[in-house]
Amino acid sequence: MIIDSFKHNMAAHCESGTLTALLKHKGLEITEPMIFGMGSGLYFGYLSRTPNLNFPMFILRTKPGKLRKKVAKRLGIKFKSEKFRNPEKAEIDLDALIAKGIPVAVQVDLYYMEYIPEWERVHANIHFITIVGKEGDYYTVSDSYFPILTKLHKDNLRKARFAKGYLAPKGFMYYIEEIPKAIDEKKIIKRAIKETINNMIGVQPPFIGIRGMRMFGRKVIGWPKITRDVDHLSHEIMKINIFLEDQGTGGAGFRFMYATFLRQASQIFNSPELDGLSKKMMEIGDGWRKISYFAAKIGKNRDLGLEKLSELSKMILERADAEEQFYKELKIVVNKLN
Amino acid sequence: MKENEALIDYEPHQLVLYVEKADGTFGPLQTGSFISKNYIEDFWDKMEKLRISLLQQVQNNEISPIEYYRIIHDFNIFELSSRSGVSLFKVKRHLKVKGFYKAKVSDLLKYAEVFDIPVSNLFQVITINGRDNETKDGLNNEKRISLRQTKTKNPYLVITKFELNK
Repeated sequence: MIIDSFKHNMAAHCESGTLTALLKHKGLEITEPMIFGMGSGLYFGYLSRTPNLNFPMFILRTKPGKLRKKVAKRLGIKFKSEKFRNPEKAEIDLDALIAKGIPVAVQVDLYYMEYIPEWERVHANIHFITIVGKEGDYYTVSDSYFPILTKLHKDNLRKARFAKGYLAPKGFMYYIEEIPKAIDEKKIIKRAIKETINNMIGVQPPFIGIRGMRMFGRKVIGWPKITRDVDHLSHEIMKINIFLEDQGTGGAGFRFMYATFLRQASQIFNSPELDGLSKKMMEIGDGWRKISYFAAKIGKNRDLGLEKLSELSKMILERADAEEQFYKELKIVVNKLN
Repeated sequence: MKENEALIDYEPHQLVLYVEKADGTFGPLQTGSFISKNYIEDFWDKMEKLRISLLQQVQNNEISPIEYYRIIHDFNIFELSSRSGVSLFKVKRHLKVKGFYKAKVSDLLKYAEVFDIPVSNLFQVITINGRDNETKDGLNNEKRISLRQTKTKNPYLVITKFELNK
C-alpha cells in the first residue's frame, strides 16, 4: 500500500525537509526555513580531532536529531520515536505503522539509498527519509534529495537503518502523534534566534561558531601536510563546495535558508530591521558561495599552492568577520522585537 | 543569490536552493548541482587513479585488501572497527599484509558486509579480457557487458555472472 495523501516535495535539507513534510501531512502549514530557524539549526564547527573522522571537516548545522527535538519542544509537537536492537522487530513495527496509514521518518546511512546517483552515495549515518508505503519487497520512499517518490528494497533499508559506526541510526524512526492547536510564533522565533546568536558569537569552545570559522580559515593552509598527494588535497578542497552547496544546505551552507527564515520572521513581526538583516544574510551567503566556487576551481585545476590556499583562507576569514558583525546587529534587533 | 544565477541545467543531480526571486521574495528553487555538472569527470578521474594506485599496491603485497577498501570507502580505522565490530587492535593488524593472511574468515565476512561486497572479492579482481591495466580505457564496447554478483544463503559463496547488454 501507499499512503496517497502524503505529498512528496524536494527540500533543501533532509532533516528539516522530512520534518516539514510530516507536519504538513498532519495538517500544520509551515515552511522548511521556519522549521530550520525555529529549531536554531544554523551552526558552525571545525572538527579536526574527532576520532571517527578521516579528515578535518566543518559542520554547518546543529547535531543531527537536535533540530527535531528543539522544534518539538518549542512548538509543542508530540513525536513518537523509537530505536531498535532487533532489525526484524524494527521492520515489523515500521510495516504496521505504514499499514495504518502513518508516514514514518527513519534515520539511515545514505550509502544504501540505491536511487541516488553513485557519486553522491557516501557513508553518512545522518540521513533522514520518510517511508510512505510498501509493495512486495520494496518500500516507497520520500527522500528530500530526490525529485519523486521512489523505491527502496527492504534489504537495503535494513542495512541502512542498522549500519554501525559514528552516529549509528540503531533503527531510529519517528512519526508525529499530535500537533499543537496554536503556536506562539513570535515567542519561539525570538528564543530560537537568540540561541543561534549564542551558538555563533556566545561563549563557545574555540572550534565552534565564529571562532570555529576563523580556525577553519587558518587551518586550511596546512591541509597539504595532512593529505596523501595533490589529488587527495584537491578532493578535500573540492569537498568544501560539496559541504556548502550539495549536502542539503539550500546553498551557501544554510545561509540562504536562514535568510529566508529571517525574511518570514520579519513579516510576522512586521519588522523592517529584521527584513534588512535577511537581505544582509543573503549577501553573506553570496560570499560563501564565492568560496565554494573558488574551492571547486582551484581543486579542479590542482592550483593548490600556498598562494591560492592563502586566498581561500582570507575569504573564509572575511566571512567570519562579516558574520560576527551580522550576529551583533541581529542581537540588537531581536532584543527590540515585540 | 538571485534566481537566475542559481539555475543549473543538470537533471541527474537535482537539489533545492533558497534564492531571491525576480519579485524580491525569498524562496526555494529546484535546480541542478553546480559541482556535479561541472566537475564530475574530475571526480571519476581521481577515484579511478586512486583505485588503480591502491590495486597496484595490493598486487605488490604492500597493502592488504582491507586497506584497499578502507581507503575507497573513506573510513578511518575507528570507523571501520565500529562499523564491522572487529576490534581496533585486529583492524590495525588486518590492514597490513601479514595480518591479513592470519585474519579469520568470520572477521573477513564482517568487513565484506561493511564494504558491501561478497567476501570472495577480498581475494580477487574481476575484470574482462581486453581491459588495459584494469583501467576504463582500452575497450570500446565495455558497456555491452555487465557484471552481476548474487549472494546465496551460504555467506561464503557468491555467484558471479557476466551478462551481455542488448
